[in-house]
Amino acid sequence: MNFWEKITGSDMTKEMKAFEARTKMLPADYQAAWGKINEYLWAYSDFSGRNLIPILDGVLGLLEETAEDGQTVNEVLGDDLKGFCSALAGEEGAKSFRDKWRAQLNRNVAKKLGK
Amino acid sequence: MLKGALEGCVLEIISRNETYGYEITRQLNALGFTDVVEGTVYTILIRLEKNKLVEITKKPSDMGPPRKFFAINDAGREELRRFWEKWEFVSSKINELKGRA
Amino acid sequence: MSIRDMIEGKKEWRAHVARVKALPHDYQIVYREIQKYLFKVGPVELNDGTGLLSGIVDLFAEGAGMGKGVLEVTGNDVAAFCDDLIKDSKTFADIIQESMEQKGKKTT
Repeated sequence: MNFWEKITGSDMTKEMKAFEARTKMLPADYQAAWGKINEYLWAYSDFSGRNLIPILDGVLGLLEETAEDGQTVNEVLGDDLKGFCSALAGEEGAKSFRDKWRAQLNRNVAKKLGK
Repeated sequence: MLKGALEGCVLEIISRNETYGYEITRQLNALGFTDVVEGTVYTILIRLEKNKLVEITKKPSDMGPPRKFFAINDAGREELRRFWEKWEFVSSKINELKGRA
Repeated sequence: MSIRDMIEGKKEWRAHVARVKALPHDYQIVYREIQKYLFKVGPVELNDGTGLLSGIVDLFAEGAGMGKGVLEVTGNDVAAFCDDLIKDSKTFADIIQESMEQKGKKTT
């Protein structure tokens, strides 16, 4: 059973439809990444999948924001999507991912401010 | 340790006068905490707000968006009293240690 | 989420983006990086509309109005500023972990 089938018929369908509409606005490589992220994250869902809604919303927001920036999806998420997802879900390795994001933030700021 | 102390300092400043973030930063800088930036004070103010230790009024400003003014409330005063108590204890013990050397 | 919520949410978001775009260039750069970081870490406040983010814009707008550079406002360690900002917040990761524990309890 895939992600979409699993949620169909639940009271979350509307929210999922809204996600789908937003996803369609993204570039192709982003859409592919989004699909994989969905797959990986589904492993962390409770029965209804409700606990995934905020996290999916956050990721989609991130994708929308960075796509508009003109960055490739690889630059944003790195090549370890699975690791990224388990970090999102607070699994082992989340701390080192957060350190990485932290360093990335400061590096990008320094680079873009030209300092 | 300094972060916690800074939180106490911000609360103390607010307890004297209703004031806003940038003004608090200026006061801390003038006091000698020169590396305290607005951002630091902002994060402290958010915590004070979340813990309901302050009352907030928005007032128009000529520098941009309406400014949030912070005033201490009863819970804040109680927190401040505890802060100074802790502070007296810690500093007296540190001084004691120093005096013994 | 009702359609009305979505439209209103979007409107709020658009107004927010417009305020970001009105900031000086250096502030916009730092704001965008902060937002990206927060979306990844996922503090729960992100779900309560634009409060957390618009608070940052307020702070920045006032700093810009005073003629300060953005790093004078946040300090050089922007990541530390962000972490301070969400220090007491639950993150998405915390929520997932909690619900996993719940799930574990139910099945055992």
